Amino acid sequence: MTEALIVSNIILWIVVLALLLAVLALARQVGILYERVAPMGALMLDHGPKVGDMAPLFNLESLGGGSLSVGLAGNKKSQLLFFLSPTCPVCKKLLPVLKSIRNVEAKWLDVVLASDGDRPEHAEFYRKAALTEFPYVLSTDLGMAFQVGKLPYAILIGDDGRVRAKGLVNSREQLESLFAAKELGVASVQEYIDQQA
Amino acid sequence: MGALPLLDPVAASALSAVLSVIFLTGAWQKLRDPALFQANVENYRLLPDVLAWPAAILLPVWELAAAILVLFDPTRTAGTILAIGLLSVVTAAVIINLLRGRTEIDCGCGSLGGHVGDQTLNWGLPARNAVLVLAAMLILREDATRALVWIDYLSVAGATLGLLGLYVTANQLMANHPRLHAMRNH
Repeated sequence: MTEALIVSNIILWIVVLALLLAVLALARQVGILYERVAPMGALMLDHGPKVGDMAPLFNLESLGGGSLSVGLAGNKKSQLLFFLSPTCPVCKKLLPVLKSIRNVEAKWLDVVLASDGDRPEHAEFYRKAALTEFPYVLSTDLGMAFQVGKLPYAILIGDDGRVRAKGLVNSREQLESLFAAKELGVASVQEYIDQQA
Repeated sequence: MGALPLLDPVAASALSAVLSVIFLTGAWQKLRDPALFQANVENYRLLPDVLAWPAAILLPVWELAAAILVLFDPTRTAGTILAIGLLSVVTAAVIINLLRGRTEIDCGCGSLGGHVGDQTLNWGLPARNAVLVLAAMLILREDATRALVWIDYLSVAGATLGLLGLYVTANQLMANHPRLHAMRNH
């Protein structure tokens, strides 16, 4: 009798845990579905100007004063547009990386920070995070034009005004991969790997 | 506390193991990238900026200490009290920001089965933490008089895995909710 109960107990544990795994898998798949079906999100990242296309032209005012052209052909330097927000932790983490990129690559690259929203909040962020060496533009239209869905998002525009590389960047490696992508003449390092395969 | 019944050691051991795993993964994810967690702490806007860095170290170390202490019998009570203290502090921080309406900021929780950065603030988090606090209070009411036999360990293992599975599933559903909400509003 006791043996029968022990056997049934073991079988029940196995069944319960297997069912739980199934429920977890379903919950994850539902999450992925929501993200795919929603109008904002992963799929949108593939929209906007393609690599090789001319970037839309914007004349914007910088928070630090002065104005700035984005996507102008015949610029002396390339531009790295970095989309961020004061409440995005990953963006904050990447700020030191951007500062070093700005210093090391200054010969051929301008780093431009871009965001949208309340001016006072951004002005405070600009001052507190010591970003005054960067141009910082606030424009909803700019983000819309490039179809920026998730942050931090970076776009590399060449000196000819064409989009050279773009993508969601979560780390120094991903940010630097944009430069590698530019040198290789592909949209992203991911695409390069796909081509090689 | 006196209102809670005494708890069988099987349930107490399983709850302790679950709390330990949850806290260990949370501490690990925060300590792995302290700069990111510091930005999360700053986002809560509760501490002066100079204290964000110490807090970003102290919180995961506190979490790690609770995770380790709760696992072993002699230190279980101390670990449980540390866990309740930590949960109270972080839940208060979440509730204050929910009341401020700052639901767009990231939780920074580093939840089991997820990553730091995939859960924004919502009322599910205080609810989840309340369940964890209740579990911790139950552990304090462990009835240590019954000696465990071998099949009890099977029950502890099964219950631990089962509860962890439920916890991960609940977190996943909570992470899904804002996405569903975004979809409905378009």
